[in-house]
Amino acid sequence: MKVQESLFIQKKKALLKRLLDMLLEQYPYASILAEDTKSRNYNVSRKNMSVGEGERGTFRGFVVKVSDGKHYAEYSFNQISEENLEDICAHIKELVESSDELMPDGVCESEYQVPMEKKAEFSGSTEYEIDPETLGDDAILDHLTAIKEKGLAVSEKILDCHAVSSYQKYTKLFLSGDRVMEQSVMWMTCFLYFVAAKGEEIKTYYKPYSNLGGAEVLSRMDADIEDCAKAVLELLESEPILPGEYDCICSPDVTGMIVHEAFGHGVEMDMFVKKRALAEQYVGKRVASDLVTMHDGASAANEVATYFFDDEGTMAHDTTVIEKGILKSGISDLQSALILQTEPTGNGRRESFRRKAYTRMTNTFFEGGTDSVEEMIASIQYGFLLENPQNGMEDPKNWGIQCMVNIAREIRDGKLTGKIFSPIVLTGYVPDLLKSISMMSENVRLSGSGMCGKGYKEWVKVSDGGPYIKAKIRLG
Amino acid sequence: MIEQIRAVLQQLGIAEYRIVESVQESVESFFVRKKLDLKRRTDLTDYSVVVFCPHEKNGRQMLGASAVNIHPGMETEEITETLQKAYQAAALVCNEYYELNAGEKEDFVASNSRFAGQSLEESIRQIVEALYASDTSEKVFINSAEVFAKRVVRRIVNSRGVDVSYETYLVSGEYVVQCIEPRDVETYHQFSYDDAEPDALRQDVAEAFTMTQARAEADRPPKAGEYTILLSGKNLQEILQYYCGRSSAGVIYQKYSNYQIGDHVQGNAVQGDVLTIYMKAKEPYSDEGIPMKDRTLMENGALKMFHGGLKYSYYIGIEPTGDYHSISVPVGSRTMEELKASPYLHIVSFSDFQMDILSGHFGGEIRLAFLYDGEKVTPVTGGSVNGSILEVQGNMTFSKERYRNDQYEGPYAVRMENVKVAGIE
Repeated sequence: MKVQESLFIQKKKALLKRLLDMLLEQYPYASILAEDTKSRNYNVSRKNMSVGEGERGTFRGFVVKVSDGKHYAEYSFNQISEENLEDICAHIKELVESSDELMPDGVCESEYQVPMEKKAEFSGSTEYEIDPETLGDDAILDHLTAIKEKGLAVSEKILDCHAVSSYQKYTKLFLSGDRVMEQSVMWMTCFLYFVAAKGEEIKTYYKPYSNLGGAEVLSRMDADIEDCAKAVLELLESEPILPGEYDCICSPDVTGMIVHEAFGHGVEMDMFVKKRALAEQYVGKRVASDLVTMHDGASAANEVATYFFDDEGTMAHDTTVIEKGILKSGISDLQSALILQTEPTGNGRRESFRRKAYTRMTNTFFEGGTDSVEEMIASIQYGFLLENPQNGMEDPKNWGIQCMVNIAREIRDGKLTGKIFSPIVLTGYVPDLLKSISMMSENVRLSGSGMCGKGYKEWVKVSDGGPYIKAKIRLG
Repeated sequence: MIEQIRAVLQQLGIAEYRIVESVQESVESFFVRKKLDLKRRTDLTDYSVVVFCPHEKNGRQMLGASAVNIHPGMETEEITETLQKAYQAAALVCNEYYELNAGEKEDFVASNSRFAGQSLEESIRQIVEALYASDTSEKVFINSAEVFAKRVVRRIVNSRGVDVSYETYLVSGEYVVQCIEPRDVETYHQFSYDDAEPDALRQDVAEAFTMTQARAEADRPPKAGEYTILLSGKNLQEILQYYCGRSSAGVIYQKYSNYQIGDHVQGNAVQGDVLTIYMKAKEPYSDEGIPMKDRTLMENGALKMFHGGLKYSYYIGIEPTGDYHSISVPVGSRTMEELKASPYLHIVSFSDFQMDILSGHFGGEIRLAFLYDGEKVTPVTGGSVNGSILEVQGNMTFSKERYRNDQYEGPYAVRMENVKVAGIE
């Protein structure tokens, strides 16, 4: 089944085209992005239940971008009617002319070319198997409640089991002088979150699931309940690790965090514009072992960050970022591409119509290798299998790594010993880690349960992943 | 629009509800080096509606709730469909009953911020001027910056007579300082002011320049091992979130925290400073329309209160306080000079410092630290901190020097003993 276009967008299309025409009479470039986004969040735990729309996931509004030939300005608003079109144009004119009010002495305004767009018309929708709206709140809550009860029943030591799900369905319409593009997309995610206590210390375990589609993702949680419960109970017996550099195997979700946080942010080309990314100096050079080929793109995989065109009207790409260890290309939004005189790669994304577009990752992952996980574990004399990523932070300027994982499983003489360490901080220098990758498993797994920020804000949906990888990593 | 929503709620027979109207205007400017790269303006009106459905399950009284967003310009038919669906969802939500708050129409609370006396553009210009005041060198400079000036007027009404409204101003943003010699490095900084304090930003930026120069000189991580560490500024603020998080009504109700009122939560044999923490009301009302006031969370190490919104406060039998986002802490017993009298590792910048309020673990990758070995101070970079508040809270010593932002006012630094640091072997 295909995701249906928003009726609201359909109804406003003619009005938006009229607004665009009015703007194009005044400015050499004008575009409008209209968004209608619906979301619903479900959360069931031992003593709590909730269902409703999230503030961050449900919105309806418009952003206009204009160029006076040299400078850009944007206006975000969420009320439009026949009566206020002139007012909207007046606000934009006032903004375009406001530069002097915003800049103290010594600060001037950047100058850009007007983008040269090729004519394009597009309309497309993603597919789903089960529409969560049709399935209904009651069926979804029943499913989550059954999972929660099964999770709590595993052990009395389990303080709580959260079964959580969200979906977002959106229609975006992009209009400019040369483009009329429209897309409707739906993704759905869920996760299990176990909490267990030992004295004052609380341990948690989180397992995410995601898909480009609908409520068919819910059933993927069912088989993992007992394993997740077992993992949180194991964590109660975990110890802090002795800091040091170790041979490590990263599970696909930990690989994903390294791909995304350690390297991906560093090839966002708005960082090249600001001279904030070391990667700019390494294009064409070795940054990883021969085994590593890395992709990013809204069309590179079918996951939560899949779309047909970005928020600036550029069609989705599959960008090969690293090919056999050599850095080939960054990813780019439209404005950065104008300065760098490169082609935009369909990575211009906004948190919503309320915010500016930045270069953002989409579906980011390493290709698979040829090794089996068993061979990888057997190859390690002393080291760790790293699982259950928690969070990470980018450092594009200096390629420092900060990633936190919940579990390090001890490997001794090629076998898992059953002993686990937690929590673990991964640090080091990104190329050192990537060049140390010596084995990779065949299967690639992507996951997109969380959101990605640029610094500490601008949250967008992304997915990341890869195969199991073997590398040398500094743990603390 | 509020009256239109109320009319639909009445027509649907929805007796209990809360509506929050938020009218926001903002001016935003984005800079790359000393150039204005993009200017933006937003004019946004939002309506968030929570509908409540009292019902019974297995003979027990329940109160389900569901939140939806009503968009400006929505036609009555769509508003009706949205609210009806929300009410049906609320009927499925089986949470124990809790009491909603009652009130009456209160006067609009105007902001007394100095930002209120000037346009958003003037506020931006004032802050940008302060931001670039230290940017006079070719070697160390502001790489890029984003500045947001925002005015928000909120009105909260509910089915039990609450009708309150107030105005807030906020100028916030971030900037990256770059130093190109002897190594090309950068540091990332955020700011947020609810009152016009350009001098405070000017001083912060000057310190950021000094810090970035030090990072350019740092070329190696510390050796792995256990250290006496100093944490300061926002990192100390993050550490203290542990006590706020562990005492929130939601965490108490779900038994994620075993805190009890009167507990000496740092332990009974504190060797360092005992903590007093005040929770500061930065807005006159919470999101639920609860009047907010300053309160004492901890006094001399003893927990004085739990805090939270309507639901969890009712469940654990306390007065609802609303949710707090700002704390104030009296300064500590030692000067920075005293805290630095013996060997230490003072971490001034992490890539992302995290305090896990459930496990008590804190940590992050070190972007810049100063290592004092008893003889000399050396800047270091790299490696990571991995500590547990449960292990260090009995022996924390706080500085007499102060630090302040819109969410924190208190000691600038804390000294902690025997914290694990991953570094070079």
